[in-house]
Amino acid sequence: MHVIACYSNKGGVGKTATSVNLAHAIARSGRQVLLCDLDPQGASSYYFRVKPSKRLSETRFFEDSDRFADAIRASDFDGLDILPANRSFRDFDRFLSRIRSKRSRLSKALVAGGAEYDVVVLDCPPNFSLLSENVFRAADRIVVPVPPSTLSERTFEQLVEFFKDQGLPRRKISAFFSMVEGRKSLHRDTMARMRAAYPKRFLAASIPYSADVERMGLRRAPVAEYAPRSKAAACYADLFGELAL
Amino acid sequence: MTSLIVIAGKAAPLVLARPCEGLRFAVGGALRRDFALYDCFDQPLRRSGRVLLRTGRDLILLSDDVAPISQKVDPGRGSVPAIASGAVCDALTGLPPLRALMVQCAGRAETLSVAVLDDMEKTCLRMQVITLSAQSGTATLVLTEPMRGYDRAHQRVVDALLDFEGASRGATGLWPLLLPGVQPYQSKPEVPITADEPAHRVAADLIRSSMSVSRQNEAGIIEDIDTEFLHDYRIGLRRIRSVLSLFRDVFPPEETDELQREFSELMAPTGRVRDLDVYLLGKPGFFALVPEALHPGLDLLFARMKTERDVAQRALARHLRSDRYTARVAALDARLTDPSGLPPGPEGDRAALPYAQALIWTRYRKVCKLARRIDADTSDDDVHRLRIHCKKLRYLMEFFGPLFPKKKFRKILRPLKGLQDILGLFNDYSVQQLELSRYLHPDDGAPVETDMAAAVGALLATLSRLQAGERTRVVASFADFDNRAVRAVFEELFHQPEEAGR
Repeated sequence: MHVIACYSNKGGVGKTATSVNLAHAIARSGRQVLLCDLDPQGASSYYFRVKPSKRLSETRFFEDSDRFADAIRASDFDGLDILPANRSFRDFDRFLSRIRSKRSRLSKALVAGGAEYDVVVLDCPPNFSLLSENVFRAADRIVVPVPPSTLSERTFEQLVEFFKDQGLPRRKISAFFSMVEGRKSLHRDTMARMRAAYPKRFLAASIPYSADVERMGLRRAPVAEYAPRSKAAACYADLFGELAL
Repeated sequence: MTSLIVIAGKAAPLVLARPCEGLRFAVGGALRRDFALYDCFDQPLRRSGRVLLRTGRDLILLSDDVAPISQKVDPGRGSVPAIASGAVCDALTGLPPLRALMVQCAGRAETLSVAVLDDMEKTCLRMQVITLSAQSGTATLVLTEPMRGYDRAHQRVVDALLDFEGASRGATGLWPLLLPGVQPYQSKPEVPITADEPAHRVAADLIRSSMSVSRQNEAGIIEDIDTEFLHDYRIGLRRIRSVLSLFRDVFPPEETDELQREFSELMAPTGRVRDLDVYLLGKPGFFALVPEALHPGLDLLFARMKTERDVAQRALARHLRSDRYTARVAALDARLTDPSGLPPGPEGDRAALPYAQALIWTRYRKVCKLARRIDADTSDDDVHRLRIHCKKLRYLMEFFGPLFPKKKFRKILRPLKGLQDILGLFNDYSVQQLELSRYLHPDDGAPVETDMAAAVGALLATLSRLQAGERTRVVASFADFDNRAVRAVFEELFHQPEEAGR
């Protein structure tokens, strides 16, 4: 089982869109995917039309494996399940440690149709916290969307520093440029500079700034479902391909 | 869990017009195709609550609470597609090995794919609404496909579906709607008997019941669906002949003789096909009896048998379709159903229970007398005689079974069956030797291939050895049957003190 975290320490960078479209692309490739909506402000459940369950707001939720399994909802797409947003993730670090233990009751409850999920995608809240640190340790990959702006450049630096300070493996970071406007020289220059500064951290694929992606809120579905031939859909497919899961 | 709901008639418009509160049905598409419903003749799928349905090229195996299993098939030219491998093939367990699938019902199917949406337009479950229309009846099949986390919506939809008139859960309800009046075939229906019923009525009931069994198999023999049709047809006739010969004097002697002749003549044309069927079914066993080097010879032998069997089968089918046969069985049927068609004979009015006890007791004593004499020097003919008596005893016990306590009956039937199995093998080996040696000396005097002659020769030698082996086991097996406990049960159930002197 692969655990992939979509993370950014800055808001509004297209993180939730990445979680949703990436999870959808992985499921389309024939794998069983669980998308965990961990960002209380995030909207990945909303994009899949899944209502947050009342039961989910109860505390100590992740301690109870059966309730965890009960909260999982099938999306409308084959092979893609959702764990809807939850306002209380106090025990999430315990969840992360258990998800890795094959013998834990949690990993036994974490099955789709009798088999383990192939990939778990975590849509993470945007701040440095104990939770983020645990996510960084538990995840196999940390997918970081970076809009090519000066501010984003600084927050990305902070993230890499944080990894260094905490002794976390930086090779887990798979960053990519999002909300790219190719006509802006600022974008082009920032991208060139950052790729030079972090040659191993950035994927070749990037996601353009696109009305198709913005329409996700209106359509409440992954881009590839309502605009399958759009540039954005093709770029998310490239991103998934490059992650080589 | 998947649910399977059957609703009478063409219910799709009604179902779709009445979604549960807060839910909406979105019809994705409609497919109109031909359909066929398959099962064996004795309907093992129906009995186990399963449905094997083909719509177009899709073959699906359905049952309640289990996700449907499907595979693609080529409907081909035959009435039943070949299902040699695939998911459905793997899941089709519990079918009798000698039985073939056949079309039970066919017609047109309309399949609607429906998504059930909530107020957020999120799919909560999917359904397939399949309307099956055949000449014999119409039914609507709803298959629900629940989605994780939406159990409550699924349950509400299932409950609402079950509220429709004529709705039921599971596959069982489909059969009476599509095939009203068709009951699953039974090869040995139990004929109820009461203790004080006159014996001639018991005999007549048994004959009628067996005759009905035989006649139900006629179509399957003609179509050559599987070997069991002919087998059951013959068993029916044999049971009738046994009633006629074992129920002594329940009918007037001249009536009995005439019926005996009638049924023996019905049976005669079926023997050759059945014999060859038995050889062909036992083919792997015969191959195991001779060294591999001789297998090419056996291939020749079995190829010849197969050709001969197919020729004989076609002749039999022609016979069963003929006007002469049809008229003859129709006349027999009429006679059997006419209350005055089978008048009582000298013993006809005896009460069933004492009559049965006397017949079984006498036969039992005969079996014991013969069997106790059997040793290494006994002639084959005597062993055969013992086999016949055992068979008659078994028939009598089966016919009159309903009159006696089941548990005690089983206690004495089991060792009798054991003895019969060994006597049966002994007989099979002896008949097979006789039969196979005919292939060494064909009636038309044609030369015999060397390979085949060698294989048959080896087979004969092995069969003769096996027969000798069974013979030594007869004595041991009879000892099992002839123990104090079995004797006590026979005595208790069948021995009437006042009859002791008879």
